[in-house]
Amino acid sequence: MKKTKTRQLALCALLIALALGLSYVERFIPLQLVVPLPGVKLGLANIVTLMALYFLGPRTAFTVLVLRCFLGSLFGGGISGLAFSLTGGLLSMCTMTLLRRVPFLSVYGVSVCGAAAHNLGQILAAMVLLDSTYVVAYLPLLLAVAVGTGLVTGAACAGSFRALKAAGIQNFWQ
Amino acid sequence: MGLTFRKGDLLAIGSVLLCAALVAAGLWVKARGVDNVTAQIYRDGQMIREVSLDRETTFDVKGDYTNTVTVKDGKIAITQSDCPGGDCIHSGWVSAAGRAIVCLPNRVEIRLAGVGEVDAVIQ
Repeated sequence: MKKTKTRQLALCALLIALALGLSYVERFIPLQLVVPLPGVKLGLANIVTLMALYFLGPRTAFTVLVLRCFLGSLFGGGISGLAFSLTGGLLSMCTMTLLRRVPFLSVYGVSVCGAAAHNLGQILAAMVLLDSTYVVAYLPLLLAVAVGTGLVTGAACAGSFRALKAAGIQNFWQ
Repeated sequence: MGLTFRKGDLLAIGSVLLCAALVAAGLWVKARGVDNVTAQIYRDGQMIREVSLDRETTFDVKGDYTNTVTVKDGKIAITQSDCPGGDCIHSGWVSAAGRAIVCLPNRVEIRLAGVGEVDAVIQ
């Protein structure tokens, strides 16, 4: 029992660190130059959420997500940044938790829907923070962008999962 | 959850794009017939200024950061900003009713409101 707890703690810490690192690296990928909209990013940290969901289950994935958002806001997102990343992240995680059991979807489809839910969550947060429905104007392009970014993160996930499986790791708890 | 792309994934992509298209169509229908557009500048949810798109002008919106707003050729844009990221500048020039430019760090929003809303056009 004790061994599992320590292992769980170490794994969560590792995944949170990985997610924060990926969010940082992401700042150097100038996706905004291609798609000029606020909030457009690859969502590389979504790889970690998907990985946590797939290998460790929704409960741990939730812990990793919430702690990642809080730490991320300390490192330079601020309070409004926290509201955006939490709303987007939670909506995305709920969507992916529900969809991962759908038999005809692969990691690509789940990732695309997760990305779309994330962007929808961000628009909802903006509507509340700005007290404005005008931001909905950003939604169509943000959803279209989510298809592209979702496919990229989905491919990264598929690659990571294959590598882990090839290394003989089927279950992180072992 | 498999690791290879399946046909079902196309369905997922299709639904996301369909949602995008529906929202875009809704916005387009709403903006149709509205040609008299003014720009309302909001900061922290309060309207601080209203400008016509017919007259060329440039002014600063000061908050935690400073956004330089420019009106030219019936369009409006944030042309300069010292906010981190500069997403508001990247939003470019907009002119259609219902559109908006947002600078989240500065909590500034430029809303393009139709003056002669659809009802007035019908009359």
